[in-house]
Amino acid sequence: MQKKILKFKLNGELMELLVSPSDTLVDVVRDQLGLTGTKKGCGKGECGACTVIMNGQSVNSCIVPAMQAMDAEVETIEGIGTSDKMHPLQETFIDYGAIQCGFCTPGMIMSAKALLDGNLSPSRLQIKETIAGNICRCTGYVKIEQAVLAAADKLKATKDK
Amino acid sequence: MKKDYTVVGKNIRKLDALEKAMGAATFTTDIKLPGMLYGKVLRSPYPHARIVKIDTSKAEALPGVKAVATYLNTPRVKFNTSATSTFTIPPLQPVEDQYIFDSVVRYVGDEVAAVAATSKKVAEEALELIEVEYELLPTVFDPLEAMKEDAPSLHHCEAGKNVPGEKIHIEMGDIELGFAEADNVFEHTFKLPVQKQAQMETQAAVAQVSVDGKVTVWSTTQTPHPSRRILATIFGLPYSKVRVLNPPYIGGGFGVRIGLSAKAEPIALALAMLAKQPVKVVYDRKEDFIASDTRHSGYVTVKTGVKKDGTFTARKIVGILNSGAYCSWSAEAPGVLGAMGLSIYYCPNQMYDGHSVYTNTTPAGAMRGFGNPQGMFAVDSQVDIIAEALRMDPMEIRRKNIMRPGLPWVLPYPCQSSGLEECMDLGAKAIVWDQRGKQNQDRDTIRRGIGMAIGTHVSNAWPFCGDYSNAYVTVQQDGSIQVASGVPDMGTGTITTLSQMAAEVMGIAFEQVGITFADTESTPFEIGSHASRTCYASGTAVVAAAQDAKKQVFEYAANMLEVTPGELDIENGIIYSTLTQEKSISLGQVAMEAHLRGQQFIGVGRIIPQNAPPYLAHFAEVEVDTETGKVRVTKMVAAHDVGKAIHPLIVEGQLEGGLAMGIGYALSEEIKYDDRGRQLNNGFHKYMLPTAMDIPELEAIIVEAEDPTGPFGAKGVGETGLVATAAAIANAVYDAIGIRFFEIPLTEERVYRALKECK
Repeated sequence: MQKKILKFKLNGELMELLVSPSDTLVDVVRDQLGLTGTKKGCGKGECGACTVIMNGQSVNSCIVPAMQAMDAEVETIEGIGTSDKMHPLQETFIDYGAIQCGFCTPGMIMSAKALLDGNLSPSRLQIKETIAGNICRCTGYVKIEQAVLAAADKLKATKDK
Repeated sequence: MKKDYTVVGKNIRKLDALEKAMGAATFTTDIKLPGMLYGKVLRSPYPHARIVKIDTSKAEALPGVKAVATYLNTPRVKFNTSATSTFTIPPLQPVEDQYIFDSVVRYVGDEVAAVAATSKKVAEEALELIEVEYELLPTVFDPLEAMKEDAPSLHHCEAGKNVPGEKIHIEMGDIELGFAEADNVFEHTFKLPVQKQAQMETQAAVAQVSVDGKVTVWSTTQTPHPSRRILATIFGLPYSKVRVLNPPYIGGGFGVRIGLSAKAEPIALALAMLAKQPVKVVYDRKEDFIASDTRHSGYVTVKTGVKKDGTFTARKIVGILNSGAYCSWSAEAPGVLGAMGLSIYYCPNQMYDGHSVYTNTTPAGAMRGFGNPQGMFAVDSQVDIIAEALRMDPMEIRRKNIMRPGLPWVLPYPCQSSGLEECMDLGAKAIVWDQRGKQNQDRDTIRRGIGMAIGTHVSNAWPFCGDYSNAYVTVQQDGSIQVASGVPDMGTGTITTLSQMAAEVMGIAFEQVGITFADTESTPFEIGSHASRTCYASGTAVVAAAQDAKKQVFEYAANMLEVTPGELDIENGIIYSTLTQEKSISLGQVAMEAHLRGQQFIGVGRIIPQNAPPYLAHFAEVEVDTETGKVRVTKMVAAHDVGKAIHPLIVEGQLEGGLAMGIGYALSEEIKYDDRGRQLNNGFHKYMLPTAMDIPELEAIIVEAEDPTGPFGAKGVGETGLVATAAAIANAVYDAIGIRFFEIPLTEERVYRALKECK
């Protein structure tokens, strides 16, 4: 298959690279661009480990054809915070014990971020619905839900200041 | 040990949390080496067949293909993928019943060949070009069928038709006398499903062979040291020339890789040796489902003799488990089922008979709970049946019969601690037990119920297989310390917990502790993460190493301070005399002084663990929709005696995660097979594990009945969260609708059918 040029913004930085039309977004991000924070758990859009934010929406990057990201803005776990200035979700996931093996964590945080980007007062049910497509086999989800609620409060407090 | 701990018992930030939150943590699937090839596996489409002919020439000719491995060009050394092959204690012999590739395939998914190529796509294309001619062989899928004389034999077996390893027999007292003394005898058989670990990171390994033959394998194993031994044996290498490590993180385990990660390691290594380039093998999710160990399905029969007042006089359990096509842990799991099923209650006359049976299905191996959830679903469902027959409250019949410290049981170590009764009382209060049986009106179609069940488990693998641990604690020249333990951290908080223990013993701040882990090259032998053992057994080794280092430090410091070592203590890194106030010196000063005179303090911990029983009481509140059969758990309370919670937040996380998996086991998770041996539930959209939407309110209650054998009193916790969950939920469902289920999961279909039959 003829390779094509893909241009898109990844974590705010303009990317331009050659991809096969059969490549998925997760393969481009992980294998070609070397950002391995985004995980691949099933390759079929069933587990949510590969969740990234594309143009403000959370998507399963393992079923998004890479070319569909043309001119899009894509955010991955690597782009939302630094170790000395973490995103509130990263802080609360740590503080509330929401991380065990850590394999679902990046996707889980990105799903939650897509929610909080548009809603700083989500209900517990909205949080559950948001992460229902992200499988976590370690935590039983309780501490993840608590962490998302706490992050929402933090973001709200910052915004109100 | 002193009780006012400065580090132990505190919710310190987990050592792995920051990297994982930032997406910076490295897993096996993230590794990329220069020149690395990608390996893919050709799997059998048939449940039982002989390979008559295999032609790989077209695959080899495909551009980009660097190696094709089959049974014809890989080692013909038999092994067992599980760590049991390195830890079966004589006179028992490990069951070694498989090769990397064989000329006979025994289940759908069995390995036929593998390809290493420059890309995943080329490797997949090459698999299609391998031509295989099969001669189909007769098949058997059910363990009871497979025991019959005319069933096809999967392997040569000494103990009985298709029985891997030995049949297990456990006995205490006089079982016949016990039944004779009983006023009533109850006997029921329960059927258990195949559950899948479904850990988030699939089985994976990257193998590299240096030009001088030294082997390095990064993998998802829960047990680097035993895995190294298996690999070294297969490939005929000195153990010292094989390095197995995690990179350092593993995306979950739950037992599925105690030993090899299915066959990812030997396949990657065989391909790397043939190609003379590094090879990465990552199972896709379907491969992970069909070709890596599951929980054992099977049948459990419980026969109990009981006095009119509810006292148990005799209990006999028989367990027949489905091993699948290879042994893996199938020689040990029936033993844990029996021993735990018998030991939760005191009963003077007990007997267990159990074993596994080979069938042409995916191999069953270790999964969180290891036989115990199967046994306890049966035992504690029956205890509720007995309670109802005797018109006793389920709490009361349990209170009357539970195991208590000092009483005899079938285990070779004593019961020295139990917080079980406290767990039962706290749990009953939290679920509001008094509401039981009072929540439904006659015409309600949604019926509510409350149920409970109890359980115990182990804190390490002995006596079911061998168990010991080693660790180093090395004092650095500035007074910080380096811990080395071969144990992985698969998300269970192990490295944080071990570092807390080391800091507590050494009397220094947690931030002063560094840890090396899960690497055979830099750590002494250590089994790894299984059997709820890391906190208890690996922790005991780290404590011993820290004590050894501290002893050396105190001897040196005593000389410097001109006091006796016995009067010294250390707090926050300052060594001081408990007798004279003026005499003190920092650990860093002592370490540097010793260094300048040619000495480092190196503590070694070498321990053979005892064992200790954690206890748990689970309470479930359910709603059953009698029009659809849908069971919804509305609340779970899990009260757990963990001995001592070294890090309460980690402990809660283990319990909540276990409960979620237990809810799945009770209600929705099951792998079924079609009549051609193919899994019907081989992916996340077909295998119904709980999502956030399925999880009710979970309340984890920590009870601390410290055990004298555990580090700081701690006992095992990792597996306990799902030991009694299914029984508690089934008992709650009975309370709601009055129907007793002898088989799980309680799917809508199963419950609906039962409701219809009862009408």
